[in-house]
Amino acid sequence: MANTKVDAIIVGSGAGGGVVAKELAVAGLSVVLFERGGWARYSEHRDDELTAQRSFPLHCYFGPDNERYRRVAVDHDGNERIVLPNDWAYHNNAACVGSGTVCYGGMAWRFMEEDFKMKTVYGSVEGSTLDDWPISYHDLEPYYEKAEWEIGVAGNDSLNPFAPPRKRPHPMPAFEHNKEGRILENAAREIGYHPFSIPMLRNSIPYGDRPECIHVRNCVGFVCPVGAKNGTHNTVIPTAIRSGNCELRTDCQVTEILINDRGRVTGVSYFDQNDQKKEQHARIVILAASATETPRLMLNSASRFFPDGIGNRNDWVGRNLQGHAYCGADGLFDKDIYDDVGPGASVAVSDFAHNNPGVIGGAVLCNEFIRLPYAFTGAHPPNTPSWGKEHKKNQRTYFHRTASLRGPVQEMPNFESRVEVSQNVRDHWGVPVAKISGFKLDEDIRTAHFIADKAEKWMEAAGAVKIWRNIPDTGVSGSQHQSGTCRMGNDPKTSVTDKYGRVHDIDNLFIADGSLHVTNGAFNPVLTIMALGYWVSDYIIKEWEHGNRFGG
Amino acid sequence: MSTGDVSRRDFLKLSAIWAGSAWIVGFTTASSSNHREPYRTLTDEEAAIIDALADQIIPPDEYPGGKDAGVTHFVDQQLGGYLKGFASEYKTCLPALNNDAESRFGKPFIHLDEREQYSYLSELESGQFDNTSWGPYRPSSFFNIVRHHCMMGFYGSPVHGGNKEYISYQMLGLSVVQEPKRPGAP
Repeated sequence: MANTKVDAIIVGSGAGGGVVAKELAVAGLSVVLFERGGWARYSEHRDDELTAQRSFPLHCYFGPDNERYRRVAVDHDGNERIVLPNDWAYHNNAACVGSGTVCYGGMAWRFMEEDFKMKTVYGSVEGSTLDDWPISYHDLEPYYEKAEWEIGVAGNDSLNPFAPPRKRPHPMPAFEHNKEGRILENAAREIGYHPFSIPMLRNSIPYGDRPECIHVRNCVGFVCPVGAKNGTHNTVIPTAIRSGNCELRTDCQVTEILINDRGRVTGVSYFDQNDQKKEQHARIVILAASATETPRLMLNSASRFFPDGIGNRNDWVGRNLQGHAYCGADGLFDKDIYDDVGPGASVAVSDFAHNNPGVIGGAVLCNEFIRLPYAFTGAHPPNTPSWGKEHKKNQRTYFHRTASLRGPVQEMPNFESRVEVSQNVRDHWGVPVAKISGFKLDEDIRTAHFIADKAEKWMEAAGAVKIWRNIPDTGVSGSQHQSGTCRMGNDPKTSVTDKYGRVHDIDNLFIADGSLHVTNGAFNPVLTIMALGYWVSDYIIKEWEHGNRFGG
Repeated sequence: MSTGDVSRRDFLKLSAIWAGSAWIVGFTTASSSNHREPYRTLTDEEAAIIDALADQIIPPDEYPGGKDAGVTHFVDQQLGGYLKGFASEYKTCLPALNNDAESRFGKPFIHLDEREQYSYLSELESGQFDNTSWGPYRPSSFFNIVRHHCMMGFYGSPVHGGNKEYISYQMLGLSVVQEPKRPGAP
């Protein structure tokens, strides 16, 4: 049964979709915002590390659940394996209102100017589809600003000489460092790095009717107990709903994009919370379901006009899957450096994000969020016991004496790292699941070694008595930083959307999530996804105000 | 509009309640109680083997070991829940692990003394028993799974059946309730 037709449907209520819902609803369009999960609540999840979004050996509290969802992971040799959401090879993103923005660490990076023109800066890379974005940092700058002020970011660029230019400061002062952060900050200065406080989507002062951060240990991976962490779930989505123009439809799984006999999108079909198949029609459809689920939905929407999936005439949908090649160094100290002031990550250097001699790209380098007791059992120094008396003793000593530095190495996108749909595995609703395959290029591993060297040197300066490196494996990246699978571009032959996120050849189908990223920056991507949400919305609203009803 | 978060005041109120029940705990309560919940998925024999494994993997010292922290209850509860996919592996491997100790030490695993248990498990871990298989399972892989699950039961949230009264948090010097803090404050 069909519902009343609306102006816009948004599929996915995460960083991109939440922003688009608010922008369109406030501009007066009627909106249905689809979310496959429900609301995540502190009162339900509390401090449960075993189901948190950081380590979920039992299951994923934030979804998706292990009962209805699965994917196929393909290894180096082409062997396929069915994986559940709490397997790392699933490349899970939270399935709840706000998605990852409820349970993230909240690092609020703007990409640097170079991140938008990687090919111009670095040239071609063998085996890579490296390219420039069709938009520049300066195009996106006002939208970064809007995200920082509407959703709420604490930061201060004055100590970061590598920060890209900005017109307006952050709306909240930067966070102070905890004990470990202060040690690392001083050490970084001593060796000529330029440490500063990580910009965070978290309240350093009361902001947006929500209180200031209380610095709990359980931050990344958890719901904030006081609502001081800013995501789309407690900012733009409530604003969208308050406008009276946005209906949030939770626990609904969108399974197909509907297209008419003229090749225009007419809406979506979905299963509601009672597994009833329904249709929702609209003038515009915006996909914001993540860099794995957005291409899956497109590939599962084949028609006479697009026999290989909607928007997929040139076989670019699902290609160039990337995340970040995380690397770094851990250090053990001979004294306590832990003061239990969360969330832990607070100090960063951008010295090695770009301009590294002989290296393509690089990474910001940050200290790590507090590792909780269970996760820490696997984080002891190498060549120490993994069980028994000594492990237990080390657990209680080292917990207070260990620090980590990590950098999200910008990966070189490659065409073979991809999301497809499985030919033989289906989900609870009978829909073909995502199949994920691919690898990192040697170049990424080389950069990871370069960044790990810099981390090691930093850890040494901080006085660590034992230091060990962390280098990523060569498997495909994705996970919570997944991006790139429907890249934007000026040439329809080598991209999926135009520079406004509009799918080539269909003027009423848009994308507003990390799928659009041509490259994924040397930084955590969420603020860029939010900025793109504003950017895509701005285009739609301008067209709408000029009378464009997208043919509907 | 509700966004699923409790207000700061409610949080502090909740904290106070939690502090009341979670912290008035002596280390002796865990081991001195004769009363225990019945097992749901494990037989008493299987539970005894896991008790011994848990105490080898996380041995008692000045703090309780895996057994007294409720690791066996965690495994019992989870093999009927989130970890049900491992149930048949446990059912096959636990008796095999126990009995195969005889070939090496002349006694089943649970009757070995602590040092013998430790040697046996070290050999299992290093793959010295992998020339035999326990049903379709490899001894070293099974040991690794048990090790993993014991860590989860000891260090994870008590809501899943282990980490009785947050014993591991006490050992790590971590408060169960996180009071508001400020960087730089003493």
